[in-house]
Amino acid sequence: MIKNRESILSHLREEAKKIRVNIWRALHAAGSGHMGGSLSAADILAALYFHYMKIQPGDPEWPDRDRFILSKGHANAALGAVLVQAGFISRDILEQFYGFESLFGMHPDIKLPGVEMSTGGLGHGLSIGLGVAKGASLQKKDFRTIVLIGDGELQEGSNWEAAMAAAHWKQANLTCILDYNKIQQSGDISTMLSLEPIAEKWKSFGWEVREIDGHNMDELVTTLDSLPFVDHKPSIIIAHTIKGKGASFAEGTHLWHNNVVDDHVFSKALEELELSR
Amino acid sequence: MMSTNVNQKWAKDAQNQSRLSFGLAVTSLAQKDEKIVAVSSDTIDLMGLREMMRLFPERILETGIAEQNAMGIASGLATTGMRPYVCGYAPFITARSMEQLRNDVAYANQPVVIGAACSGITLAVSGGTHHAIEDLALMRSFPNMKVIVPADAHEAWHLTRATETIDGPCYIRLGGRHEEKPVTPVDAKPVVGEAIQLRGGSDVTIIACGALVSESLTAADQLLAKGIKARVLNMHTIKPLDKQSILKAAEETGRIVTAEEHHVTGGLGGAIAELLAEFHPTPMRFVGMPDEFAVVGPTAQVRAKYGMCASNIMSKCTELLKY
Repeated sequence: MIKNRESILSHLREEAKKIRVNIWRALHAAGSGHMGGSLSAADILAALYFHYMKIQPGDPEWPDRDRFILSKGHANAALGAVLVQAGFISRDILEQFYGFESLFGMHPDIKLPGVEMSTGGLGHGLSIGLGVAKGASLQKKDFRTIVLIGDGELQEGSNWEAAMAAAHWKQANLTCILDYNKIQQSGDISTMLSLEPIAEKWKSFGWEVREIDGHNMDELVTTLDSLPFVDHKPSIIIAHTIKGKGASFAEGTHLWHNNVVDDHVFSKALEELELSR
Repeated sequence: MMSTNVNQKWAKDAQNQSRLSFGLAVTSLAQKDEKIVAVSSDTIDLMGLREMMRLFPERILETGIAEQNAMGIASGLATTGMRPYVCGYAPFITARSMEQLRNDVAYANQPVVIGAACSGITLAVSGGTHHAIEDLALMRSFPNMKVIVPADAHEAWHLTRATETIDGPCYIRLGGRHEEKPVTPVDAKPVVGEAIQLRGGSDVTIIACGALVSESLTAADQLLAKGIKARVLNMHTIKPLDKQSILKAAEETGRIVTAEEHHVTGGLGGAIAELLAEFHPTPMRFVGMPDEFAVVGPTAQVRAKYGMCASNIMSKCTELLKY
């Protein structure tokens, strides 16, 4: 049993590493992109797509599939990577990031198989996810809805409208994951517009809160497996993460929120990921 | 022409108010289709949804006064196969939730129907914060969006029900908390995208929507008394535009006056001018709000101050007859 769990975790860590490699591939093909917030979300996406979510990549419109909405749409390179690895879309798409007439641009496009909603305008995903979750309840379906939000976008008031409504409706089939990497485009969130005390905010809005290390696969799996945390409240996982995780030069700085990826950056990033094996 | 269909319960219950007629139509759809759901931003009574709340409380989703959230929720619901009718005050459900409306509904091309009550300056006493005199321009500019402006309760009923089978977003612009004079023949079954000719005529054509259809009919009747035959088209759908009937009117009458309770830029008049400029340049005059915010006051008086009334429609027609 323990061995089995270890092999599961090891597999998920491997997928997370592949997500990071594929993020860099896409960004390199495009010449630039949002590495910071894509890399911070890689472990979360691996745990979701290769452990928690019920999906059928061969049938992206399967009505009973769990729904994932990337509210922080600028991390689309990470979503594209995981959709490729799960088998929703072909690997070639990574080379088409930002390409002419591509369905794989900077932000998710609902027309791409596996993408549940076109996002990118910040502060939209939680309301959309709440609508999806409510759609499941009304149709007595068991599928679950997960919304991944960024920390910077929590400055948008629309999130808190959705937070209030989800709690009021006791929407326990809705889970929000906060990729809390603590840095937004122009600097540290703590100095720009602090979210703290963030756990208390969500609690006071009526959500059941867990705080975890968003790069610890063991914690991610345990936490996802215990969803919903309670049966009468929506759940939020506050995942403490590192912006740019996995590339030493990009970690923990707003300078690598969105930056150029030339051959040199690309090979350095891959080299570091290789060494971390 | 000027009668209501009192035999139908909805017509009576709607009290000649398009906003109530919308809610009753949504309720009637909900009775036959479990996918129909209303998303309300504190607008249950405003939109005539009290009966639906009694019949299907689980299918009235109340978001409170939070239009951004209401719009996002509607989009999410639609992705699961539900048919959401999101309701609000016209000024707020458009401008406040504009980005959600644009991205989550129009760009993502979801079958969300937006019911917008108290449009134009129906809330004239409330002041400029509560007027919606730019909504048609905003909605019309979105790809995928259909823009519908019922002129009375009868049209609101039929056009709201017609949205059930439309695969994409629709905006329905509705009136305020006062009676709207019935203008649609009781046997008419308005079809989205097809203008209704209410008066025949060959001297000039008045193309109107919403509250100004009734004013246009008054204008046409008074013009007729002077021997001027004005055609009146009720252009209840601004997008997709009934190009055929507009081009026909331009060819046959040679003069077009548009009338709407909206800024003269970007709405019905703008849409028609764009069409005619390219395909059949025709002398035109525009009746609507000039480029300013409206004053406070009783709606009829405020409308008259800015010329959104029969007498100004008449003068514009007369002016054009010099051509």
